[in-house]
Amino acid sequence: MASVTLEKVRKDYGAVRVLHAVDLEIADGEFVVLVGPSGCGKSTLLRMIAGLEEASGGEIRIGERLVNDVAPKDRDIAMVFQSYALYPHMDVSKNMGFSLLLKKAEKTTIDARVDGAAKRLGLDTLLQRLPRQLSGGQRQRVAMGRAIVRDPKVFLFDEPLSNLDAKLRVHMRAEIKALHQQLKTTSVYVTHDQIEAMTMADRIVVMHDGLIQQVGAPLDLYDRPANMFVAGFIGSPGMNFLPATVRKGGASEAVLADGQALLLPEGLPLKGGDAITVGLRPEHIRLADDGALKGEVVVVEPLGLSTQFYVKLASQQLCVFAMGRAGVKPGDVVRLAADPASLHLFDPKSGDRIG
Amino acid sequence: MTYAVSEIRSVGKPHRKRLSHVAIEPWLYLSPAIILLVVVLLVPLVIGISYSFRKFSAFKSEYVGLGQYQAMLSDQVLGQALVNTLWWTVASLFFQFFLGLGLALLLDKPFRGRKLVQALVFLPWAVPSFLSGLTWAWLFNPIIGPLPHWLFALGLKAEPTNVLSDPSTAMWGPIVANVWFGIPFFAITLLAALKSIPSELHEAAAIDGASPWQRFTKVTLPFLAPTIAITVMLRTIWIATFADLIFVMTEGGPAGSTNTVPVYIYVSAFKSLDKGYASAVAVLLLVLLIAYAIALIGIRRTLVRHV
Repeated sequence: MASVTLEKVRKDYGAVRVLHAVDLEIADGEFVVLVGPSGCGKSTLLRMIAGLEEASGGEIRIGERLVNDVAPKDRDIAMVFQSYALYPHMDVSKNMGFSLLLKKAEKTTIDARVDGAAKRLGLDTLLQRLPRQLSGGQRQRVAMGRAIVRDPKVFLFDEPLSNLDAKLRVHMRAEIKALHQQLKTTSVYVTHDQIEAMTMADRIVVMHDGLIQQVGAPLDLYDRPANMFVAGFIGSPGMNFLPATVRKGGASEAVLADGQALLLPEGLPLKGGDAITVGLRPEHIRLADDGALKGEVVVVEPLGLSTQFYVKLASQQLCVFAMGRAGVKPGDVVRLAADPASLHLFDPKSGDRIG
Repeated sequence: MTYAVSEIRSVGKPHRKRLSHVAIEPWLYLSPAIILLVVVLLVPLVIGISYSFRKFSAFKSEYVGLGQYQAMLSDQVLGQALVNTLWWTVASLFFQFFLGLGLALLLDKPFRGRKLVQALVFLPWAVPSFLSGLTWAWLFNPIIGPLPHWLFALGLKAEPTNVLSDPSTAMWGPIVANVWFGIPFFAITLLAALKSIPSELHEAAAIDGASPWQRFTKVTLPFLAPTIAITVMLRTIWIATFADLIFVMTEGGPAGSTNTVPVYIYVSAFKSLDKGYASAVAVLLLVLLIAYAIALIGIRRTLVRHV
């Protein structure tokens, strides 16, 4: 096991810079999730840790060792690919034992390690099967088994659950997490799915346009997003953003485009007339007869456990999340309230968090 | 439900009658293709085989049973032609395959001007075999071609003579021309197969610790194996029956040293006008190639099971 340290790591493809000076410290035994939309550079970063892409600049360390010029096979890492990348002509046990075979390990050692990993993953009855005779979830497990057998310092996961159906994905998510809790191997996990990130990570690294936007524990990111990108990316359904202007009176208020006003929390560095963007999580808005906001319900999405509905307000659609049945229908005019402490305020120009 | 079941029973009989129409109908749709196949493939094949049981003279023919086949047993020219065909096929195939595979592996790697090189590599395929045969024959001719002088300068030949005129080396002429002509086929098909190997597989192997050579033997080759089997089979049949280059360059000579079975069939049929004997030799070649194809398809099946 080892830590992973990235210092000012850059990646250029010709004149295009896809990663800008990334700094990241991953502690020994930590499960870190890199999350962001497609093209944000998260996979490139992972592939650079694996040694499949060369860094254009900066330093990559695994443990104390600088690995910029070390071949993938000598970095003591294991990678699980999105497509699993199982060798189609080898059966499960050969797939899992391939790396040990190449290291010229004893046959008894290989068999013992493969059997151990197979038992752990429930693959012991499938060892003689070829990959094409397995289901998606089983292939996924074989790919994990191949990584475990190597007993590496670092596990790298490149969107390993993207090819599975929704139900299996939830199941495998829990399995990977349980596995990490047993093995305690440092893991770097790439995904575009913020729910995967929230559920699995010790720490999440949110990336966008080749830059790290924020690093933190899942709930820290949810509670205090550093900017509008993180605020919009973390949480489902996503945060509502309302452009507003600050009005100073007895208490500060945010005046929306249609003149409705929301009470702002105290003690923020705001002046009257400042343009701000108010971020409101759907789950922090509630129906209230004395609510400050008024609007017309446009769409209602009942989910059983909860209800999502959209309210037309200040020429925008505000998403509201309520547990159970909300008792509203399209066309209803409703009043909504939000606790000032639950508001997130952003500078509309830079997108950065205020306060 | 009961109602539905009783109704099915009651219409049972007329249904069976309609079945014969149903059975014939698809054959009617298929008939244009079937008629075409029968007329252009089956009929000539049957006529060809029937010729092999006859003896043709100037204006008539007579049935001789297995006479032509008996004559083949004592035909030393045919024996030599079979050996030549084997030699011609194996040597051409060997160089075409390995050079084609090499080219495909090179073209699979990105480099500047790859598109252009790729187009150039495929060019020989577009040249009519008749023209390439003539051109190569000229290249081997010491009066107008440079090759004999180069071979002489390199010390590979004692004097700059035509390899095509020496019975011990003559076969190399058409083989070289055929290799040049046939590399593109292997390069194209193997390149296509290489492109279908997911890059993640190579990356996984690299992380697992495979050296480039191990990646080639453990990942690339198993993936290529089915394609290799089918292309080698096709090429073997094409090369074994490919007479154009040899005929244009040497006409089977000198002294029968480049006389392959297809050339022999052609000469027997259209020069000696011995259609019966030519047909019998053609049937022999057909049988040999079918046996070869069956063997190779069997091998391919065991390979494909893995992928």
